[in-house]
Order: sequence, then structure tokens, then C-alpha cells
Amino acid sequence: MKKDFTFEALARQPVGSLLYQEHIKRAASCPMAEFAGYIMPLWFSSISQEHKAVREAAGLFDCTHMGVLGVSGPDARPFLEAVVTNRVSDMEPGQARYSFILDACGSVLDDVIIYCRGPEEFVIVVNAANEGKLEAYLAGLLQDMWVIDPAEPELGLGLRPKIKDLRDPTIGPEGMVDIALQGPRSLEILEKLVDCNSLFLAQLRPFRFIDCSIQKIPCMVARTGYTGAKMGFELFVQPASASALWNLLLERCTAIGLVPCGLGARDSLRIEAGLPLYGHELAGPFRVNPFEAGYGWAVRLDKPFFIGKAAMSAAATKADMQVARLRVPGGKGIRPVRFNDAVLDSSGHCIGWISSCASVGQDQIGLAYVRSAQCRVGAAIGVYYLARGQAQGRQGRLQTVEIGQQLQPDLEGMILPRFAKF
Amino acid sequence: MVIPGLLYTKDHEWVRLDGSIATIGITDHAQKMLGEVTFVELPAVGASFKKGQAISVVESSKAASDVYAPVEGRVIEINDQLLSRPELINQSCYEDGWICKMEVTDPSPGSGLMDARQYAKFLKEQ
Repeated sequence: MKKDFTFEALARQPVGSLLYQEHIKRAASCPMAEFAGYIMPLWFSSISQEHKAVREAAGLFDCTHMGVLGVSGPDARPFLEAVVTNRVSDMEPGQARYSFILDACGSVLDDVIIYCRGPEEFVIVVNAANEGKLEAYLAGLLQDMWVIDPAEPELGLGLRPKIKDLRDPTIGPEGMVDIALQGPRSLEILEKLVDCNSLFLAQLRPFRFIDCSIQKIPCMVARTGYTGAKMGFELFVQPASASALWNLLLERCTAIGLVPCGLGARDSLRIEAGLPLYGHELAGPFRVNPFEAGYGWAVRLDKPFFIGKAAMSAAATKADMQVARLRVPGGKGIRPVRFNDAVLDSSGHCIGWISSCASVGQDQIGLAYVRSAQCRVGAAIGVYYLARGQAQGRQGRLQTVEIGQQLQPDLEGMILPRFAKF
Repeated sequence: MVIPGLLYTKDHEWVRLDGSIATIGITDHAQKMLGEVTFVELPAVGASFKKGQAISVVESSKAASDVYAPVEGRVIEINDQLLSRPELINQSCYEDGWICKMEVTDPSPGSGLMDARQYAKFLKEQ
């Protein structure tokens, strides 16, 4: 009897990221926060300076908390083709692809990037917060434990690829952790330091990668990232080399304008670019599906099968809500917009809620889950602040707002194109 | 940075007691943890607060932090410069970035607060 997939995370003591000691050395007083079980820097200088550096020069991000899983063997390709929503069957070595992993009911378990390293060798990069859940899910699929199709509850994949945690420090040369180098000058930085012919780098297209080495440190260099930068790379190195690569880049490239960046700028950059964060613009309290998030193209309904396909076929035709990017005034003296604040149309009626927001220069750029009918680029919108504490609640500020409720906006702004590139 | 002569709370507020007048702000540690302050909500002049009641909110893009009244009293003056220049809290948290002044009604306003040495030790232990 197969079971529906369920997962309960075990509470564990947060640990410093792999580069924690380097961060302490670089900025002893830099504020840290726990994120997905890792203690990570929020910023080194300030969020706005780091954000600006990535838009104008380059920034370096500790992404060693991201899960990196290896899927290999003769069953690897058919396994992934059945487990992810995007197509894997036609992927060539050196190619990367964005995709979703769903459960049988179509709930999004994670959004991932799949890197094809060989006909039978793949790497999947997963969100740190979802890594434990995905490992449990994939391990169960290998044993055909879970229901994969509600219409045929006894169906199993019967596929047995080898799945490994590539961040395991004992794994040897195939080990990998992620360090991201993003921004317009990142190509120049790599050209200066790579041991291979730097022409290969200049010709590398988005969502392609090559294996090379940086000052003798072996490295998989991919044109992927999470900042919306037109030029940016993720560098996958063996865990034992991560500190050396981190320090080398920062020491050799300060003159070019490279700065280390914390989680704060990582969030503000991805929000400005319109990129979704799991739990905010995907799944989460609003239960956002891939179509609503703006990523229907990564759900290949023309594949004969993938887990969650029936639910996705239904979701594809129903589009009353969607993720929108919007702008309202920001800067000094304006209260920051936060998760769940209400988004209003020009007549003051609530059309949805803020899912993420960041201050960018004199603006606040927000992502919101709103009614599609009112979601026209350029449309005027308002934002209503929910009560920030009990005192404000007592003074009459609302704690929650429902669709259709009419309110006075606190800020006025407009809907922007869904995505932006920089 | 901790300044001698002020009193401190575990929530990282500071108080300067001058007779029956208390000047209140947030500490250097608190402003560093918040990052760039972009908004400060100030109390109404004339409003009374018990010790420990939320009196103000200081917000950065990453966090909103309540400021609790470190003493019992009535607000007699607010630093309305902070409305247009909230960054004063980052630049000068103990001087230009003060939040409000209260007329203290507490008979022993200093009780339960730390002096500079105790607060510095408290920060180290955190």
C-alpha cells in the first residue's frame, strides 16, 4: 500500500554556514541571522550598498547553504523526467534548466535548477529550507513508497538512480557547494582568474555551464543566479575549496568593485527582478502555483507523465490570481511595506496581498498575490498597512484584510512588468 | 559602543535621567542589528506609559522593532526630526537620534535598569 507523501522537519540546532569563519574574520560585527538552519550574514556593509554593487559592479554571495544533490546512473534521466515538471529528456551536457518538484496532489515541494553533466549524470540545486523534505521525498520515491498518481494509487516509478548529497564533505572530488558571483563586472572578474581559455566564459549563454578551474581550484561555472543580473555566475566548488575560492575572489577583485553580500541584498535583488521565493511567491500561505507565479513554461503539460500533472492541468486553465511586481514610494520616513499588507485597486478595493517587499533607492518594490483581472502593467494601485502591533490594532488598524474590502490607501503606486533584468 | 552615565534595558533601550525628565532612545547594538532605519513611529505628546509598554516602533527594511518605555511616565517631547531623518538613529543613536522625553512618574525610575558596565557585560554574554 503506497502512502501520500508527508514530511515533518526535525528541529535542529542552527549551524554556521561553511564560510562562517571567513565572515567573522571579514566583519566581526556583521549581523547574522538564522536561515533554514544556517547562521548567515544579513549584510557586510549595508543592504543598499551591496544591492547597488551588484547592479553596478559585482557581488559575491555565500550560497553554501543551498542543497546540492547528485542524481546519476542509467535511471537518472527517466527518474527526473517523471519527478520534475520541466523536460529533462532533451537536456544536453552543459545545460541547466529551472523546474518544479510537486507531490501527487500538485503542491509545490520546491523550485530547483537541474544541471545536466552527462547523459546519466545530473545535479539538482534545491532551496536550503526544503532540502530535508526533498531528500525524504526522493528517498521514498526510490523505494516506490509514495502515491505518485492519485488516479492510480498503486503506480510506482520502479526507477533506481543513485542520489547523493554532494555537499557531504567526505564525498571527495565530486563534492559541490554554491558560491554566486553576480553583476555586470562578474565576467571580467572570472576572465582575470580562470585557468581555461576565457573565450569559453564570454561565450557561455544563460543556463549553460562549463567545468574549468579558477587559480587551480576546480570549479563548475554556470550562467545561473538569483539576482536578475544579465551577467552572473554560480560557482560550484568542492566544500574543502570554498573558503579558498571565497577569499581569492574578494582579495583579488576589490579594485573591480566586488563586494561580499549578505542575505538582505540577496532578497532585495531577487524581489527587484521579480524572482519568486519558495514560501512567498510559490506555495506558502497563499498556496501559489507555478502558473500564478509566472512560470507556466516550466510545467510541461505535453509530457506523458510527471508527478502532480493532473493538478497542474487543472491549474493551467484557472487563472484568477497571479503574482505581480509593483512599486510604491520608499526611502527615509516611509514605513516599510511588509508581507500580508493589502494591495488595493484605484477605487480602494482589496485585490490581494503583498508577498515580499524591499526598499530599492527611493522606491519600495513589492511582489504581491493579486486578482488577475486587476493586474495590468501600469495600473494604479494602493497599499494598506496592516497593524504592526497590538497598540495599532487597538487604534483601529486592521490585522487582516479580505479581497473586496474597501480601504483608504497608505501608499499609492503602480503595477510593473512581472520581471526585470539588469 | 556603550556610553557611561546612561541606564539600559535588556531590550536595548537607553535612558538619560535628569531630575524628573527621562530622555529615551535605542542603543548602538540595537541600531546595528536593525540596519538602515527608514521609519520611526513616535508616541503622542501627553500620552502616558507604564514601564515595559510599547512606546515607539523603529523599522528598517528587514525588521520592525518595538521600543518599550524603560520608565513609567508621560511623554512631554518627541524628536520629530526622526520623521524625515530616521537615519539619525543609525548616525547618532545616543545624541541626535533620541526618540522622546518623558516626565517620570516612577518613584524609583532606575530600578531594574542596568548601568553602562552591566549593559556591556550583558551584551558580551549574549
